[in-house]
Amino acid sequence: MFVLRLWNYFCGYAIIIVQGIKIERFINLAVVNNIYLWDIEKIDYTTIKAKINIKDFFKLRYIVRKTDSNIQIIEKCGMPFKIKTVKKRKWFFFGLGALLIFIYILSSYIWMIEIEGLDKIDEQAVLENLSHVGLREGVKKSKINKREIENRMLIRMPDLTWMGLEIKGTKAFVTVVEKKPEPQLINRDEPCDIVASKNGVIEKILVLNGDGVVKDGDTVKKGQLLVSGTIIRDGLPERYVHSMAEVNARTWYEDVEEIPFEQVEYKKTGRTFTTYSMDIIKKKIERTKKVPFEDYNKSSRDIYIFSFGSYVFPIKLTITKYEELMPLTKIIDGEEAKTICEERLNTKIKLQIPEDAVILNNRIEYFTNDKSLIGKIYVEVMENIGVKVKID
Amino acid sequence: MNSKSYKIKEKISDALELPKDITLDIPKITVLGTDSASVENHKGIISYSDNQIRINTGCGILTISGQRLAIKSIIQEEIIITGKISNIGY
Repeated sequence: MFVLRLWNYFCGYAIIIVQGIKIERFINLAVVNNIYLWDIEKIDYTTIKAKINIKDFFKLRYIVRKTDSNIQIIEKCGMPFKIKTVKKRKWFFFGLGALLIFIYILSSYIWMIEIEGLDKIDEQAVLENLSHVGLREGVKKSKINKREIENRMLIRMPDLTWMGLEIKGTKAFVTVVEKKPEPQLINRDEPCDIVASKNGVIEKILVLNGDGVVKDGDTVKKGQLLVSGTIIRDGLPERYVHSMAEVNARTWYEDVEEIPFEQVEYKKTGRTFTTYSMDIIKKKIERTKKVPFEDYNKSSRDIYIFSFGSYVFPIKLTITKYEELMPLTKIIDGEEAKTICEERLNTKIKLQIPEDAVILNNRIEYFTNDKSLIGKIYVEVMENIGVKVKID
Repeated sequence: MNSKSYKIKEKISDALELPKDITLDIPKITVLGTDSASVENHKGIISYSDNQIRINTGCGILTISGQRLAIKSIIQEEIIITGKISNIGY
């Protein structure tokens, strides 16, 4: 039955209303003449509604005449009529088809590269190298050989230990692992000296191996020999050892910061100005407008209009927002300047002092001239200054 | 129905185990719950209304009554009737 229905759908069928007194005879005659009627419903005493194949419809004329009934088409259904409407709206369906083809073609290209795992290396540098090995926005997906790109990238960028490339939709996900700087290790069986890495006063020296050259309380300069790996004894030939020592020394750090009393602060006035630009396959469409503010904060946002999950299409809307800023000149007094100065000095000095150092003393001195406050920080710390150097 | 040829036919089909609906030209009615009934070997519709359909068959007039009766499909071999069937009788 289902196959028959399907066939009827393809051939096209009509819903008809038949009116007549001899309605049963009409049905019987249709059956005898091999006219297929289906979904027959009685509407009232003399009327029925039925469905009929389009080809059979014209055969009905004879039966209609014989039974004195009235026939009327109320609806035409099926493929032939659908095709008719499609033909009428040719250009609409043509456009729809073209759009589908366009999207299909676009989806076979890479339109977005996302890089993950970067720490020290600049993203731009990675992108540039990627484009050299054949992965850039607008490259055909079928032309990408993942293995080859990974290998060539690792050769091009020696700073990378590993790179993984994954393609999802129109996005390429690049995961990189950066090489960590290798600590310069000297093998235990290789002879070495220990020298000072900084200027300082030796607080405590504990020699585990080798000959100590300096004593507690000695002032040493950067690069000065602290523990010698060359052992010279009377009556014995020269011996070279791998020297080991804990050399704790007091070292100093200092920094300067100037805070002018006249501080310029920028405040948002609340007035904003927005510009829009479109990016279609790297072609920028934009109306240049002059920014009506003198000082402003600029922030822009990219929106991919056509993005379905991992399928991103290269139509991008960039919204750039300008927020007006107003410069405010503020005069601060000495106390306020001091707090700002102290805060800045502390953060600045923290960058210089190694993490494992112990701070012994922390002193800030202030000087003032008529325009600004100058703060000087001195920090005394205890740290290990011994560095191993190989003996040639 | 009690003609001589009918009886002979019945005996032959009994003996040879042939399906009687074909050899004797009598209707085969299949009822599916109360929703649909199909009548094979019919001889045309006698009357059709919303709550009663009368079908001519080889062994008399079959009356199907119920509510909202519709003829889902009608061909020479079979009629399928849908709707709420309450009664089937000769």
